[in-house]
Amino acid sequence: MPQVKIIAKNFMDMVASLPEFKLDQLYDNTFICEAVLRSLPALGKKYVLQLLFIEKPVPAKAIEEWLLSNGVSKHRVAIDRLVQLRVFREIIDRKKDISYLLNTKFQSNLQKYIVKGGVLPGEPMPSSITVRLPTLEELDAYALEQWEVCFLLQLISSSQAERPTNFSSSMMTIFQRGLLSQRDKEAPRLTVHGFQFLLMDTNAQLWYIIREYILNSEVRGVDTADLISFLLELSFHVSGEAYNINTLNEFQRNVIKDLADLGLLKLQQGRKESWFIPTKLVTNLSVTLSDSSSRKQGFVVVETNFRTYAYSASKLHCEILRLFSRVEYQLPNLIVGAITKESLYNAFENGITADQIISFLQQNAHPRVAEKTPSVPENVTDQIRLWEADLNRVEIVSSNFYEEFPSRDVFESACDYARENGGHLWEDSKRMRLIVKAEIHMQMREYLRRQK
Amino acid sequence: MASVPSKLYSDDVSLLVVLIDTNPFFWGGVNTTNASSSLSFSTFIAHVLSFINSILLLNQLSQVVVIATGVNSCNYIYDSSSQTVTENSENGIIPARSSQILRKLEEFVSADEQLSKDLSQARVFSLLSGSLSLALCYIQRVFRTGSLHPQPRILCLQGSPDGPEQYVAVMNAIFSAQRSMVPIDSCVIGSQHSAFLQQASYITAGVYLKPQHLDGLFQYLSTVFATDLLSRSVLELPKPAGVDFRASCFCHKKTIDMGYICSVCLSIFCKHHKKCSTCGSVFGEAHPEVTSTSDKKRKTPMA
Repeated sequence: MPQVKIIAKNFMDMVASLPEFKLDQLYDNTFICEAVLRSLPALGKKYVLQLLFIEKPVPAKAIEEWLLSNGVSKHRVAIDRLVQLRVFREIIDRKKDISYLLNTKFQSNLQKYIVKGGVLPGEPMPSSITVRLPTLEELDAYALEQWEVCFLLQLISSSQAERPTNFSSSMMTIFQRGLLSQRDKEAPRLTVHGFQFLLMDTNAQLWYIIREYILNSEVRGVDTADLISFLLELSFHVSGEAYNINTLNEFQRNVIKDLADLGLLKLQQGRKESWFIPTKLVTNLSVTLSDSSSRKQGFVVVETNFRTYAYSASKLHCEILRLFSRVEYQLPNLIVGAITKESLYNAFENGITADQIISFLQQNAHPRVAEKTPSVPENVTDQIRLWEADLNRVEIVSSNFYEEFPSRDVFESACDYARENGGHLWEDSKRMRLIVKAEIHMQMREYLRRQK
Repeated sequence: MASVPSKLYSDDVSLLVVLIDTNPFFWGGVNTTNASSSLSFSTFIAHVLSFINSILLLNQLSQVVVIATGVNSCNYIYDSSSQTVTENSENGIIPARSSQILRKLEEFVSADEQLSKDLSQARVFSLLSGSLSLALCYIQRVFRTGSLHPQPRILCLQGSPDGPEQYVAVMNAIFSAQRSMVPIDSCVIGSQHSAFLQQASYITAGVYLKPQHLDGLFQYLSTVFATDLLSRSVLELPKPAGVDFRASCFCHKKTIDMGYICSVCLSIFCKHHKKCSTCGSVFGEAHPEVTSTSDKKRKTPMA
């Protein structure tokens, strides 16, 4: 089973990793150009705008002259990104001077966009056909419920979900891969990554799932570039408007069904037509702000006596809190718990780190306490870190044990050799026993053989 | 790990307030008086519209507010945050935005013209102080509402010369911008430098620029004035060559090099007065030999 690493990379890293010709193909679409531009670092955006109407290659030296002396690192990051996304083309002339040229398709699309404006990929349907559209709040609530209650709960424990989603079990297995470990005939257990996944914010979780979805598209016989371009296009639809499904092709309709299960879209059916309504989740998909601007309303209050009060009725929140605290009682809108040494040790055993717990508490702090700094009492955060450090007093190093040396000389020279190579851990000179780190075991063996 | 919720976005999200000069005396005379820098109002607006589009393109959370500076009035023309996708957006968002701005501008210009007719005395200077104050009011409102707000800045696109009678109001606006850390960028498209805007950009750490070639206005705007506050710390931007610090006197609104200053409230006068018109302090008798040399700067004796 491949090791799944949880890195909340963003959409654009995925785009950047596409092969060249597919990437060039993507830039035919103005919306993708727009999304790519918005994902760039601030300085990169600036360069693109500045060079937008310049059609000749611009020497790298000229660009460097725009900078103050403290901007070199930011400049490098921006240029690397631009080249990686093939927005800038590097041209090296005979004197080995580098100049940059904007990707022509990208350039002309954006020029057109700025002067004439782009056209929305799909037109919203007139309100005469769509009888009653949900309000934005209803839509948000729907998206959250679909995501948390249906999808996440099913992901964690298939039995607990009240309303099963339409995902085929194979699809679900793909999502669960790495997050759950399935042993024969046993209830699946969350892995380290699974726990970490639950503590991430919604956007990061969403991205993780979408990434798995995209990575798996090829197995299902879907072109990755098509899928990415369609997802990006969707993220430019206006949340809360209705779009006709009939304008989509069959592949897109299939995707839409999957996304609706995740709460990214809401499907509705009228008398004749059917349509989809994008929720906030899908419009945030291409957003790559460093601080999540879509910060949710928090719900947790942590007191200095280690008690937690979570103002939430959500089953998922309760499950998450149970990961690291002892839930004492549950009222209709309140979950009261306590962070104890035992509950934390449980969490640490499951591979959750103290920092993850603290950042979860901070990110989900109730608005009343979020205004204060620190939002989680310092004594609590310190204690959580201390308890974690307690567990790490014993360090496990794989090593090899040597004994029955033929002579004291051989033993001592072996000790010296191990010390020189930084692998010496323990020795007992009386009984001539030595413990050495496993990584230099081969060298040790070689050395001892030569001694004979 | 963003533990402390900050009121500012850490990204390059900007709130740009653009002040557009619609002074008919400037735009009407621009083609006849100086042929070197001929820029008609329609080309100017075309450049500015592209600029606004590109600012909104850079970040989906960025916000642009357009304020028109007329001769007798100023008004909000466009606010990207309150913009709703209009029903007939067949051509997409941007054409709808452009036509909305153009329509509002036209309404504004004719209303402004109507005001000129109603008023007995004709004014020729643009009401920069008014539009600056409107911009600052808007920014203050953004500061006070919402959990997160973008980084604000003001861009003055000024063509007509300074109106000396607005000196006090403009300076007050500048200092209030300085206090709330709002940079005022200025792009002067007229033939003369603007002392007001030089001081405004100097005091608020904004950028002052008088483009040489007005037909490439968009390139100036996108190169210099599109720079978000985050990138300003690492980019080389135009430095002011010299700032005209001259003040206007409070009595006749003339721009003066030397004058009299009230030692109590620092009001500026071009002539010696018996009493300060601002704070009412009574000035002592000036020495006769000094009053004769009127261009010598001196403080009035203590009241």
